[in-house]
Amino acid sequence: MIQKKICMVGVFGTGKTSLVRQFVHSKFSEKYHSTVGVKIDRKPVQLGGTTVNLLLWDIEGRDGTQEIQTSYLRGASGIIYVADGTRVRTFDQVFELRAIADKALGIVPSVCAVNKVDLVDTWQVGDERLAELDPTLWHALTTSAKTGEGVEEAFQWLAGAVIGERPE
Amino acid sequence: MTALGNSPQSFKMVDAFGFSHIGNVRPANEDHFLVGTLSRSLELRHTNLQGAPALEGSHRAMAHLFVVADGVGGVAGGHLASGEAVRALTEYIGLATSCFYSTAVEAEQEFIEQLERAVARADQRVKEYAPKGRGPATTLTMAILVGERAYIVHVGDSRGYHYRAGRLRQFTQDQTMGELMVDEGVMTEEQAQKAGLNHVLSGAIGSEYTPSIGVLDLQLGDILLLCTDGLTKHVADENIAAILKQSKKSEAACNQLVDEALDRGGTDNVTAIVARMIPS
Repeated sequence: MIQKKICMVGVFGTGKTSLVRQFVHSKFSEKYHSTVGVKIDRKPVQLGGTTVNLLLWDIEGRDGTQEIQTSYLRGASGIIYVADGTRVRTFDQVFELRAIADKALGIVPSVCAVNKVDLVDTWQVGDERLAELDPTLWHALTTSAKTGEGVEEAFQWLAGAVIGERPE
Repeated sequence: MTALGNSPQSFKMVDAFGFSHIGNVRPANEDHFLVGTLSRSLELRHTNLQGAPALEGSHRAMAHLFVVADGVGGVAGGHLASGEAVRALTEYIGLATSCFYSTAVEAEQEFIEQLERAVARADQRVKEYAPKGRGPATTLTMAILVGERAYIVHVGDSRGYHYRAGRLRQFTQDQTMGELMVDEGVMTEEQAQKAGLNHVLSGAIGSEYTPSIGVLDLQLGDILLLCTDGLTKHVADENIAAILKQSKKSEAACNQLVDEALDRGGTDNVTAIVARMIPS
């Protein structure tokens, strides 16, 4: 079975752990648990006749982008950058995190998940901002760890990309 | 280890100490712990090489192993479960040591899987004592330090803490029915507390369990603390942080933490392991 390491990257409180939990266990919790270091989960994904075992490294988010510990990225085949759509600053920080990760790791297939799309009343990242994400560099989508919207797509797309099968 | 924006200093050695106390009211100690070093070395038997003795005794620590376990299931059962779990885990890790000679990325995942297999072996060993029914069980919290990276495996409600620059953070999440009910949105934290569910395990070795796996990169001056709930039910996080901050040696910190738990009631067995990352 093919195994691929995928890292979840984003600043504090964007919902990285919740996205993994929704994807792996189909569950969501309102209770907030901050991650210390890295929490590792795994989930097999079926792509045609191929099973890819995703090793999900949920990396602790810090307040600032410069504090990311790039040592955790070593060996990653893909990255899911997570922003909180109700805090536009976290979307801006995704670009900073991307620059740091690219420098440390090189360019790998990447997804930008703008999370918490269920919180429509406080949503701050409009379509014009999403259009800033160059589609040749990222697969961008809005997600909700709470409802599950976009979650499966984010991981499935990246699984395909890391084994060289980019979905249309 | 690389961290942009702040350059962490490497540590060369680990000052580690573990201690367990029966407490003030329990009839027996059902906790077990282990602090160990895994190393490779050469013992020369016969050779005609010149200067061969210099080859011998190059005893280099490859990894540091820290484990705490808190048994449940009656005095005899709990003692047995925690002891057998730590023994089986250590035996397995001793056999699997070759996998961390390499720092390759592929080897790292293999190593993590070995750790999970070690926990499965511990679970199997404990279950041998109750093949047909409900038997003893135990928590298990382990950290294995390879270079500057700590690999964490956690089952139950013994805890792991990371202390850095005055800040103490719990890196394990308690696997209790209370936590589970709150996570599922069935109860509030207050309701779970009132119902006494915060001390009922939702996962344990010898029973149903899902190990939580983590990684933590450490730097000079960092401290790891592994402990059973006999410590944390009496000593608040801020007091733990204060003790870790003021103690210069792990042995002193460990003894002081256990003494504090005993002074504040000692209603359970108390076990702590303190490991400090030091320059030399």
